[in-house]
Amino acid sequence: PPGPGGLTVPRAGLKKFVLPPDYSGITFPEKTKLKFMDKVPAVPKVRREPRRLRDIRGPSREATDFTQGQYGIMALGGGYLHWGHFEMIRLTIGRGMDPKSMFAIWRVPAPSKPVTRKSLGHRMGGGKGPIDHYVTAVKSGRLVVEVGGRCEFGEVEPFLTQVARKLPFPAVAVSRDSLQQMRQGGEEKKLNNQNPWTFERVVTANMLGMRKYLSPYDLRLKGRYWGKFFLKHRV
Amino acid sequence: AGGRPPLPSVRRGSKAVTRHWKAMHFQRQKLMAVTEYLAPRPAIPPRCLAPRKERLEEDNSYVRLLQRQVEEVFRDNRMIVICQYNSMPGEDVVLMRHYLRKHNIEVKFILNEIIRPVLSQSKYKNLLPLFVARNILLVSREAKVKEMLRVLKGVPQINLLGACIDDTILSRQGVENFAKLPTLEVSQGQTVGALALLPSQTSSLLQRGSAHLAALLDEHIRRLQAGETGSPAEPAPAQSSG
Repeated sequence: PPGPGGLTVPRAGLKKFVLPPDYSGITFPEKTKLKFMDKVPAVPKVRREPRRLRDIRGPSREATDFTQGQYGIMALGGGYLHWGHFEMIRLTIGRGMDPKSMFAIWRVPAPSKPVTRKSLGHRMGGGKGPIDHYVTAVKSGRLVVEVGGRCEFGEVEPFLTQVARKLPFPAVAVSRDSLQQMRQGGEEKKLNNQNPWTFERVVTANMLGMRKYLSPYDLRLKGRYWGKFFLKHRV
Repeated sequence: AGGRPPLPSVRRGSKAVTRHWKAMHFQRQKLMAVTEYLAPRPAIPPRCLAPRKERLEEDNSYVRLLQRQVEEVFRDNRMIVICQYNSMPGEDVVLMRHYLRKHNIEVKFILNEIIRPVLSQSKYKNLLPLFVARNILLVSREAKVKEMLRVLKGVPQINLLGACIDDTILSRQGVENFAKLPTLEVSQGQTVGALALLPSQTSSLLQRGSAHLAALLDEHIRRLQAGETGSPAEPAPAQSSG
């Protein structure tokens, strides 16, 4: 605290000897670097599939929690990842991490959903276009990659945020603690919300006939999701 | 034909999931605005309350060891002097320690944050205000204050703040007075002499009467011998002494 003249005289106190972190329960997988993902699956699809954008909408049901690693990248919005993104992630993380003391694993499957494109400059009609490339769908709240090993979050965070910025959906670098804190924060917000009117309450009771203007999915999404976007600041 | 209210998006318009931010129906916008999160506002804003220092008291074993050492120091040594310590060149520190070591005085550097809890729980509570800012402790088993003061006078960066000699707290003035006191043997001799003064006088007191008479008689004899040659003898002085 500053003294009478407004100046703070720096004082040395007793040195607190912090114990080094305990990396005892960590098992490394066989290959520490990220696996190469194919552009096209081994058996390319012949039948062209409908768009099915519902694989982007809403919260994710799989890969929401950590398995082997301690840090990772979590998606805060829906989107498709194609081969270019996979290569970018693989190379950036491979460049940033130390294969001897850290490992990284994919939490997202290889691209398997075919996306069709019509050739440029043609009018509408003439059937569905041929398959252009393959993508994987990612919903919000899903982990994309996990990194672990004998390292701290501060070492890993720079290249994870670098990757997270380049993804087609908003993403954030998380650790086990920060994810838990995020979830706890959300619970606390729900509990200490001073507003007596919540989206969930209005929708379930169909107050003022609001369901006319809302989708039946809003019962599940509860106003936190709109299209592929995840509205972080809503309760 | 037009009995139905205009439904927003039936034929035209985009799908539910779009790349762009799809425009919401106005009613939906109103609903989103109404159901926003309102943060709790306590009656007293937290910045008006005193900040709670949430210190994680991880009973540091190193701290406990140092505190035990401090208690030992306070138990073993008779004289403990606390001085203010301004920054001194290293060689001067070594020289000062050497001179004090010769008189069996040790110099101890102890952190205030360790010594304060130890003192507040022991009987030396009144020494607490001295342990603020940079200080050192000079401890010794004998109380050689004069030599210590002489050494410290030659070192201007160390100022005496207070001392605790034989469980008595002395200020700077008190220490100087203590130094001016004679040593224990001399003071013992002085008290013995003072006590023995009166008994030594009793013998002379008792003999005072007869001594006075003897002196008077001698005087008389002298005068008689002196008066034989000259004037006739004077009458003997009255027997004043009993």
